[in-house]
Amino acid sequence: MTEQIDKALQREYEAGFVSDIESDTFEPGLNEDIIRRISSMKQEPEWMLEWRLKAFRNWLEMEEPDWAHVDYPKIDFQAISYYSAPKSMKDKPKSLDEVDPELLKTYEKLGIPLHEQMMLAGVAVDAVFDSVSVVTTFREKLEEAGVIFMPISEAVHKHPELVQKYLGSVVPQKDNYYAALNCAVFTDGSFVYIPKGTKCPMELSTYFRINEQNTGQFERTLIIADEGSYVSYLEGCTAPQRDENQLHAAVVELVAMDDAEIKYSTVQNWYPGDEEGRGGIYNFVTKRGLCHTNAKISWTQVETGSAVTWKYPSCVLKGDNSVGEFYSVALTRGCQQADTGTKMIHLGKNTRSTIISKGISAGRSNNSYRGLVRMNSSAKGARNFTQCDSLLIGDQCGAHTFPYVESRNPSAIVEHEATTSKVSDDQMFLCQQRGLDPEKAVSMIVNGFCKEVFKELPMEFAVEAGKLLEISLEGSVG
Amino acid sequence: MSSWLQTAVERAADVSDGLALKRQASLELLCDAKWPTRKTEAWKYVPINVWERAELSGATNDTVSAPVIDGLDSLDVVFVNGQLQSVAAESIEGLTLISLSDAGAQAADLFGTIKPDRHLFGLVNDVLATEGVVIDVAAGAEIEKPIRIVNLLGEGAEAHTRVLVRLGAGAKATVIEHYSGNSLSRNTGFAEYQVGEKAQLEHYRFALQTGEAMSIGGCHVELAEHSELNSTLVGFGSALSRIDVDVTHAGSHAFAKMNAIYLLDGKELFDLHSTIEHAVPNGTTEENVRGIVADNSRAVFNGRIHIHRDAQKTLAELNNRNLLLSDRAEINTKPELEIYADDVRCAHGATVAEIDQKALYYMQSRGVSRAQAQVMLNFGFINELVDQMPNEALAEWLRPQLRERFASMEVK
Amino acid sequence: MLSIKNLHASVEDKQILKGLDLEIKPGEVHAIMGPNGAGKSTMGYVLSGREGYSVEEGSVTLDGTDLLELEAEERARAGLFLAFQYPVEIPGVSNLEFLKAAVDAQREARGEEAVSSKDFLKMAREACKQVHLPAEFLKRGVNEGFSGGEKKRNEIMQMLLLQPKLCILDESDSGLDIDALQVVAEGVNSQRSPDRSFVVVTHYQRLLDYIKPDYVHVLSEGKIVKSGDASLAQELEDQGYAWLKEQRAADAEQSA
Ligand SMILES: Nc1ncnc2c1ncn2[C@@H]1O[C@H](COP(=O)(O)OP(=O)(O)OP(=O)(O)O)[C@@H](O)[C@H]1O
Ligand SMILES: [Mg+2]
Repeated sequence: MTEQIDKALQREYEAGFVSDIESDTFEPGLNEDIIRRISSMKQEPEWMLEWRLKAFRNWLEMEEPDWAHVDYPKIDFQAISYYSAPKSMKDKPKSLDEVDPELLKTYEKLGIPLHEQMMLAGVAVDAVFDSVSVVTTFREKLEEAGVIFMPISEAVHKHPELVQKYLGSVVPQKDNYYAALNCAVFTDGSFVYIPKGTKCPMELSTYFRINEQNTGQFERTLIIADEGSYVSYLEGCTAPQRDENQLHAAVVELVAMDDAEIKYSTVQNWYPGDEEGRGGIYNFVTKRGLCHTNAKISWTQVETGSAVTWKYPSCVLKGDNSVGEFYSVALTRGCQQADTGTKMIHLGKNTRSTIISKGISAGRSNNSYRGLVRMNSSAKGARNFTQCDSLLIGDQCGAHTFPYVESRNPSAIVEHEATTSKVSDDQMFLCQQRGLDPEKAVSMIVNGFCKEVFKELPMEFAVEAGKLLEISLEGSVG
Repeated sequence: MSSWLQTAVERAADVSDGLALKRQASLELLCDAKWPTRKTEAWKYVPINVWERAELSGATNDTVSAPVIDGLDSLDVVFVNGQLQSVAAESIEGLTLISLSDAGAQAADLFGTIKPDRHLFGLVNDVLATEGVVIDVAAGAEIEKPIRIVNLLGEGAEAHTRVLVRLGAGAKATVIEHYSGNSLSRNTGFAEYQVGEKAQLEHYRFALQTGEAMSIGGCHVELAEHSELNSTLVGFGSALSRIDVDVTHAGSHAFAKMNAIYLLDGKELFDLHSTIEHAVPNGTTEENVRGIVADNSRAVFNGRIHIHRDAQKTLAELNNRNLLLSDRAEINTKPELEIYADDVRCAHGATVAEIDQKALYYMQSRGVSRAQAQVMLNFGFINELVDQMPNEALAEWLRPQLRERFASMEVK
Repeated sequence: MLSIKNLHASVEDKQILKGLDLEIKPGEVHAIMGPNGAGKSTMGYVLSGREGYSVEEGSVTLDGTDLLELEAEERARAGLFLAFQYPVEIPGVSNLEFLKAAVDAQREARGEEAVSSKDFLKMAREACKQVHLPAEFLKRGVNEGFSGGEKKRNEIMQMLLLQPKLCILDESDSGLDIDALQVVAEGVNSQRSPDRSFVVVTHYQRLLDYIKPDYVHVLSEGKIVKSGDASLAQELEDQGYAWLKEQRAADAEQSA
């Protein structure tokens, strides 16, 4: 049976193609000069460069973390190119018509049409290709509502006061090794500002694509939801199939002011490497949100890609009554390794957090949940509920749970539960007895296992996520 | 290297007995070992510097008698300030009860076979524990009388003792490790248990040192096929109190039931690390850990279950529940699962909560004062595990001590 | 004995009792009926001093003592007893231990002598017998794993032991089989006396067939909207609470 299931899990990586696009790519290497060049490519103001250099100097002093349950060869940071942009992007196309058709075709192939007439209704997209943003759709419509949605490299020029105020305010430069690196070399990403009392009129999304070889992608996203506002933001990511590993070290910062709500969803489908563990993306990401009074931040992630994932979207519940949520599905197969989870830091009174994590491991993969729930002594009446479930498929994989619970307030309540299970023969038999083929049966069981998380995804994404798992489960089952 | 560790290593050079070879190996590891800091995962929440800082005057060698437990007819081994004072002389068929120094080859057989060498203080104990006891139970022997090892620690003492236990196939025995003392002292107490095929070990560790006493120790158990472990650990915190309990399912179909209780008050500290290794199929582990943490105290529980690739059909459950009674107290708990086999049933749960307000009100509505209701609820929470202790005399002896602790704990 | 005047109370900022009046004389049995969510249980909680309930207005006295000033346990010691609609489970605390603590505390408060453990065990066994609970239930955790009906009987058993002045029984009949209903009713009836009063909250006439009330009140939206004698219960059983709506509509029209 296991064999059958495993077969069902075989899949093609559909986003594995390479686009033939001429790029300006820096030679590999990392030093202050490279950082100055990135900054000048982006024609950044002096303060931005200074900020980068400061981060770089910090990074040099820091050590690569080794506590995660992942194993990969030491990264040679000098062998990576830190900037790559399509040549055609040099003169900053003013409209879609000026954008290289090959670029547009890439996104189309990925199911993200950028032409206005073909665009997904109700979703504005910022398309980031290697180190630059290619296009951001629906900008005018959003501007009407006062919503700012643009590449962060552009926001540095147009809204320096906001960027200066909030960049690094949630994830400090020295937060961790990869975050520090990102601060020094980040190239592009999205910037969002939702004004007071505004419900963002459409879903915002960023689509990240790594194309060029031997480059790292260091994106940076900053979302500020002002008092009483609401925004739902989605991100997706893919990369070509290559034999070398590539580094992706992003930082995402969310600020939810009083009464604001941010819903942040990710479908992460970076190239996972092949069955033998050759190639694939190292996904080392720092995501954190700060909740002010009555604010709410909800992270939902579906992680199916990357060779190594190291990612802990977190919430700092600073304001009283604020709410943090984390819903995660992580599927690992082949030789993938995922170490992912969340941190919920309860500072305010009556703060609430919910963590639902579903890990599915197959093949020879290792899937770890790592989480921290901290109730500070100020977190009177705070509550946390955590449920971590792992599903093992086959006897060559690993499923692990490392939850840290720290409580300092007697009126705070923390509940953590974790279980492991497998796709049982009985379940399979029942499905088959009712006429389902094994492939469908596994996918149904896995989907059922993940349901609590999927229902948190925005409609458009729920479909995509379902499809992703289905693709993952697609294959020839006898 | 820390200066304390430095002197420990120097003192180790003076030790020479039949265990020299094993001690030498540990000494080498110890010389390379790093003194734990806050960044060392296994010592994350416990500042170890008190251990090093303490200046000990050296203990006077008084003769102290072991505390009597009503209704318990036990074979006692008594250590005072780390020095063996007495070993029960009664001869019982199938039982060898003998001091470490007199045990000779038997000791060499058992010493360091189970204890993992990853533990810095385990290594310290390896090189410095010249005092200890060997308990060897012949195959098929059922030792009715519990064997009690008492460690009494007085002001200024530094003690390193070792307990080596082997239960032959089908043997049955009860071993009680009992530590007490409340004045400034340092002690490492490690025990190794080899539980043979179909053997049954009933085990207790009462880590009742409080106050200034500093204690770091461990119980390491290896279970052979179809063997059974029923273990209860009770800890009161102290200036530094750390215990590592490691159980390895080395033979299939073994059963381990482990209950642990910690009750902390004042500025006490208690750190319990447990590791269950399921190396073979069909093992079962049930672990229940409960703690009450009051005033300015801090509890740490790290419970790891590791299911190896071959350990199919394992059933392992770990449950940790904590009551936090004050906003200056702290509880840090981390139940870990590391699973490499798919056909297993594993679960863990951890909760930290305040006292059940509904129950409190219910009791008050019957006329019981709030303070008394709290004591009763605390006691009830812990007593559920005390009730499960197979030895009623020990449970009876423990209960009033628990009540006394609860009565002094303040709830806000 | 009990006097409730214009009681306004709320929980979590939600106003539940909105001007409740009730006078109960020694020896009387009052039944309180009313639709779900009317505030019947809330009344019991407010009277017995549950945390989280705040009284905005009004007064409650028991034999002249201001109840609202007292802690929950002091109210119990003053003679108030509440049989809970949903009795709480307290694992690890044995029924016997709990009851002994309660009886001891109450006797001490009244300046009475403590009962010996032996005598108490006898009393407790007797009480168990009276509500048809096996004596083993004394050893089990308070309500721990008890069935719905067993919990209700356990509540009555406590009442028998504590000998309160005023008993509030919150749906002590729900979830009981027919025999158990009789057991509960008998328990109550055995305690009826000229100086003990009862407030019986129920949804059904059948309990009142056994425990004959002197008065029946209808509680709706936080106050008594109708009072009568025992026949009112029958009337309600026949008609339900639809008339309440009409009355409300009429009231609204009048005030408009
Ligand atoms: N803690 C609370 N928070 C908010 N609302 C509450 C709370 N407790 C009770 N209520 C509400 O107060 C109202 C009265 O509840 P109560 O339990 O007193 O009703 P009841 O008359 O006893 O109903 P039933 O016949 O169903 O037992 C209900 O609407 C209930 O939902
Ligand atoms: Mg009710």
